[in-house]
Amino acid sequence: MTTTSAAHAGPRSFAAGRRPVVVGLGITDLGKVYGRTAAQFAGDAVRLAAADAGLRLSDIDGLLVSAGVTNGVDLSLQRHLGLSDLNLLSEMQAFGSTAGQMVQYASMAVATGTAEVVACVFADNPLKENRGAGAAYGGAAQMPSGWMGLLGASGILGANPMYALAARRHMNAYGTTSEQLGHIAVAQREWAQLNPLAQMRTPMTLEDHQASRIIADPFHLFDCCLVSNGGIAVIVTTAERAGHLAQPAVHVHGWGQSHPGYFLRRSDDFGLVSGAVQSGPAAFNMAALAIEDVDVVELYDCYTFTALISLEDYGFCEKGEGGPFAASGVLGPNGKLPVNTGGGQLSSYYLWGMTPLSEGIIQARGHGGERQAPDHDVVLVSGNGGVLDHHATLILSPNPT
Amino acid sequence: MPVGPVVRDDQTATFFDGTAQGLFLLPHCPEGHASSPHAQQCDTCGATDLSWVPATGDATVVSWAVIPGRLSDAGAGSPTVLAVAELTEGPWWWSQVVDADPAQMMVGARLAMRFERHSPEHEAVPVFALANPDS
Repeated sequence: MTTTSAAHAGPRSFAAGRRPVVVGLGITDLGKVYGRTAAQFAGDAVRLAAADAGLRLSDIDGLLVSAGVTNGVDLSLQRHLGLSDLNLLSEMQAFGSTAGQMVQYASMAVATGTAEVVACVFADNPLKENRGAGAAYGGAAQMPSGWMGLLGASGILGANPMYALAARRHMNAYGTTSEQLGHIAVAQREWAQLNPLAQMRTPMTLEDHQASRIIADPFHLFDCCLVSNGGIAVIVTTAERAGHLAQPAVHVHGWGQSHPGYFLRRSDDFGLVSGAVQSGPAAFNMAALAIEDVDVVELYDCYTFTALISLEDYGFCEKGEGGPFAASGVLGPNGKLPVNTGGGQLSSYYLWGMTPLSEGIIQARGHGGERQAPDHDVVLVSGNGGVLDHHATLILSPNPT
Repeated sequence: MPVGPVVRDDQTATFFDGTAQGLFLLPHCPEGHASSPHAQQCDTCGATDLSWVPATGDATVVSWAVIPGRLSDAGAGSPTVLAVAELTEGPWWWSQVVDADPAQMMVGARLAMRFERHSPEHEAVPVFALANPDS
């Protein structure tokens, strides 16, 4: 790992013993798992994460909770877990960037001594028995009103059309094709076949991708993420404490956020540039690392296009070259750049920002089994929320410096 | 796809008064900058003393997406073309492009605005149509 003597505002500015480390990861059953509420999934995830770390629940003194589309997780989780006298407790919502953000705030909390052991959890249960996955994100049943109601009344329902508009703009500007997007889906399915946690493990070809039904042109079904029930929690503590725990430490070396606040008017770059262009350099700067140092990449991939634009904006390829880059064979288990090594949200599970975060922790620990990337000193984890509106980046590593 | 039902709230009341008359109102600041309909302050200069001014309704395509028609006993329904369009005044707007063949869509294609209602008790919804599909 590269080091510099430059001063940084992040973990390096804290005493070595207080630098933030991810020590616990809890993953409940995922996917079509029925009969449990989001709050139950959240509680299970935290209990699993604590057990994974070798911590007692009573060691936890900070809790950050994040709810998904069913809005089923809130501050009452403290009582469900029997946690008393917490030093930190809040509910967070920045959509797909929340998981990354929770680790950032937890890192700041432990580094400053605000809290010692912070659990961060996301859980959701949008899937209901005997109802299609499409209905899970279909919107509210009450009478649409106001600006959001007008958007829906105009035909813009849910995230699919907005991301499709973004992707089509990228295609028009740079010549990106559906087949190029398909290469991302195919590569991630190859990874998913090596991941026992993945929901979709049957082989997929580019022809399968092209033949899958159109959801919102230019997106086929296989450009779109899964819908999953479940919960995932991570536990962040200090490097000093991590040394006495059960799992290999995963150090949080850098982070960044970006919220572009697209003007959505003339000259706007919506669909062309994402927040990764800002959150990436911020995270690398804090970690005193460069993109060339990255061994493993875990991107938010609510759509193939989201992964593609993130690859460009982090600088893994030139702006506009994401399509040819994806089609070059660089992705997938046989490629040179391990991206979304668990299959991502497209093929493994869709727990918002916890999908790339959980796989990033697994890879940094070296616990990826058949899908383990041989080099995993530097793992980039990327969250994306809204319609490219919110980005959070983490730089993780098994190495303390 | 016919437009859906929508009712007004406090923030959209004046805007929907406009659509009821076939007008697409945009907030303008004293400097004459046009902002997006939902703006609380001028998109350009931050001024808060905004007044509603009818837009021309002319726009150009920024991007589009196509939702396949639903399958029914009558066969496949016609697809719905959705667009984000840049109004002549600068702000973007999102709606469907009625009576459009997806093959006609291209960046910069000219659009004109129309208004449609789900039913009489719901607000009039702005939609686009290709301005000169034959040219």
